[in-house]
Amino acid sequence: MITPRSPIVALGVGVAAPPAVLVAIYLFFAGHNQPGGGFAAGLVLGALVALRAIAGRRAPATSTTLLWIGAGLAAGVAVLPVAFGDAVLDQRVVDVTVPLLGKVKSGTALVFDAGVAAIVVGLVMAVLDGLGISRIADPSPESETAAKVEGGS
Amino acid sequence: MIASDTTPSPAGRAVFGLAALPLAGLTVWATALLAGDGSATFSVTWVADLDLVIAFHIGPMAALLTVIVAGIGALVMVYSAGYFSKDAEGVVRFAVTLLAFGLAMIGLVWADSVWTLFLFWELTSITSFLLVGFRNRRAEARAAARRAFMITAAGGLALLAGLVILVDGTGTDSLQSLPQLEGSEAGIAAVLVMIAAATKSAQVPFHVWLPGAMAAPTPVSAYLHSATMVKAGVILVAITGPAFTDVAVWKNLGLALGGASMLWGAIGALRHVDGKQILAWGTVSQLGLMIVLLSLGEPKATFAALSIIVAHAAFKAALFMVVGEVDVRAGTRDIRELDGLARSMPIAFAVAAVSGASMAGVPPLLGFMAKEAAIEAGLKSKGFGAVAVTALIVVGSVLTAAYTLRFLIGMFGGRSDTPTEVSARRWPMTMPAVALTVLSLGGYVAAGTVTTLVTRAAGTLDPAAAEFALLRWPGFTVAFGLSAGIVVVGAALGLVLAREASSPPAAIGAGLVDRGIDEVVVTARRVTAQVQHGSLPVYLVVVMGVATLAVAPFWFAVDLDVLYRWDTPVQPILGLAVVVAAIVTARIDSRLGAALGLGGLGIGVAGLFATYGAPDLVITQLLVETVVVVGFVIGLGHLTRRFPWADRRWLVTRVVISVATGVSVAVALVASRSQPNGTPPREALVTEAVQTGGGNNVVNVILTDARGLDTLGEIVVLAVVAIGVVALGAAGGRRRIA
Repeated sequence: MITPRSPIVALGVGVAAPPAVLVAIYLFFAGHNQPGGGFAAGLVLGALVALRAIAGRRAPATSTTLLWIGAGLAAGVAVLPVAFGDAVLDQRVVDVTVPLLGKVKSGTALVFDAGVAAIVVGLVMAVLDGLGISRIADPSPESETAAKVEGGS
Repeated sequence: MIASDTTPSPAGRAVFGLAALPLAGLTVWATALLAGDGSATFSVTWVADLDLVIAFHIGPMAALLTVIVAGIGALVMVYSAGYFSKDAEGVVRFAVTLLAFGLAMIGLVWADSVWTLFLFWELTSITSFLLVGFRNRRAEARAAARRAFMITAAGGLALLAGLVILVDGTGTDSLQSLPQLEGSEAGIAAVLVMIAAATKSAQVPFHVWLPGAMAAPTPVSAYLHSATMVKAGVILVAITGPAFTDVAVWKNLGLALGGASMLWGAIGALRHVDGKQILAWGTVSQLGLMIVLLSLGEPKATFAALSIIVAHAAFKAALFMVVGEVDVRAGTRDIRELDGLARSMPIAFAVAAVSGASMAGVPPLLGFMAKEAAIEAGLKSKGFGAVAVTALIVVGSVLTAAYTLRFLIGMFGGRSDTPTEVSARRWPMTMPAVALTVLSLGGYVAAGTVTTLVTRAAGTLDPAAAEFALLRWPGFTVAFGLSAGIVVVGAALGLVLAREASSPPAAIGAGLVDRGIDEVVVTARRVTAQVQHGSLPVYLVVVMGVATLAVAPFWFAVDLDVLYRWDTPVQPILGLAVVVAAIVTARIDSRLGAALGLGGLGIGVAGLFATYGAPDLVITQLLVETVVVVGFVIGLGHLTRRFPWADRRWLVTRVVISVATGVSVAVALVASRSQPNGTPPREALVTEAVQTGGGNNVVNVILTDARGLDTLGEIVVLAVVAIGVVALGAAGGRRRIA
């Protein structure tokens, strides 16, 4: 059993959150040339959301919204090339000049990866919803009797 | 029953008007085609690789049926505009489904290949299911729809089997020139096709769905159960008949089913008190007559059958429309309750009287000429059939005349000084019925034109059938004598029976079908409960056991020489740590301990990945472990601290399966290493990633670009899992509240 609203956990999560987001962003953009990618970035964010849930804070969006966004981005990038007569998921690479960073090579794969990340975070949040995170901070008597999942054993 | 507000809905009018347009257009087109003795052919390739083509050929027969199907369809749409009240629900749904049915039916009569025929046959079953169950809040309507669908769908399966045999035996799937089917399989195909026709055309003993289908709104009955859906079986017998002319069982089965239906349907019509039921049972009887005539396979009989199809479509649709109008305006269609409607609903009475007379075979109406042709066909048929078939037709016709008169007296007759109150007339309901009645009358006047159209259609089935004609005045022949006798005896019988205020007979067979369907559902649930028992450990054991068996062939591919110790000494140390963590996880008593052990195991595996130079895998593995541990921490809050006690035998089973799975995975890996399949694609992938993927991280380029479709599929799976989890959570939450 987790102690409801442990201040230590809350503080720890609060401190860890900004760097975790930075790590996620780094992993996301590094993915194309370095280890990382949308899946890893999504997992970091997902872990963060789960930790925040333990600390008693709600996620800023709902899992369903994220799942729609993710599926929309990935499927959109996948299908869009067809409109231009290319194959499904055909990749476009563009060189963009960004202030401070200079010339950056990017592509439609980045959007696809964003979709992957959104779906991973959405999945983590869906699992949290399914487990009923709202009841952690305020354990009701029922949640203790709900401990008979292990059928057959 | 019908909404109390008696003014028809204006929105409904617009919708039905719109739906009537395509049907009216098709009617005009088909009439022109038939009048010009032309034909049209077109096809759409469906699956090119299978030579599957949706092929249509509209010859005279199809054109004639199109005129009936589309023409009555357009009239029924107009009728529906009046039928539905302002506050009726689902009017748009009804119009769309009815139009879909009409188009499916037209596809059926246009079909040029047996597969096209089958496709549209099934489409009519499905749309008819939706229409019969239109009032889906009523258990009675749902049961009726289910019963109708189960019987017609079972018939559809029989049809498919029969058609496969037919195509296999004749070597062609074209319906235009079906060759004779010979050999032992001809009998089987004949029985299957005839059964399919009998289910669709509500022939005894498959008729049990039709009376229940009267739960549908009346426009459905006026359309499906007079001119179209139930005719599909008759049409099937007509167009596949040429393939079975020499098959004795085809003819005998058709005569038996049709004859039984003729008599039993007519008896049913004489016993029921609900106006719609009387007509439904009468339809069973009329369809029986058509099947009898068509299965004779003789030119005159084929001609007579087509004449009856035309006449029946006109009078039966009109009669159904009248019953619906009575139902809407008087609030009931029970002949025991209705009183004095002949005076208060004179137009409806006139329509019913004329159409009923056509049904009973009274001149000067289309039905008279058609029935004359049928009796002639009976008299002219060969062998012992001449007597038997004629007797059958005569007895059936006597009963038909009787139930027609009973229907008219019951619906419109006056018994007391207090006639049933009726609401205001709805013209959209009246006019289509009047139009059809005019056709019944006009068909007699223009006998020559009708003959031309019917003989053109009959000629496509049997060239010899084209030489007959419908006669306005046949002279004092034997057939005419029989015809007159039928009307007189039938009328007398009808008068006697009309006085009997009988209670409706119990439905025989319908309950049996329902119980059969229920039994299937219950059995399915029981089997599902056995297979899908809901125990996660048992699922896992089954999945892993099957995977172990699947790996069995790999044992023979193992070459132990490919094994080597290690790349760096860190690997055995990490390996040992992983093994220890696994054992601890399996043996530990506390849930939290097991979760931590599992996390440690995962991190050890991540370390092993690192020693093989796979940083992407390391990152992913570590992150997954982190999220899973956090998830466990949350999930464990809901569970007991310790694992529950496990039965010793079950424990042994799990250990055995686990070890077997582990060994199998190892064997599969070694085996795949032992049998290298070409050179590894490493080099090619690296070049591809940089050149076309525009990235240096080969793994990520593979994920997002080279094998992007796989990734798309995987994240769709993730999304589906997430939705499932949300749904499970919601369901669990509900249960807790309850």
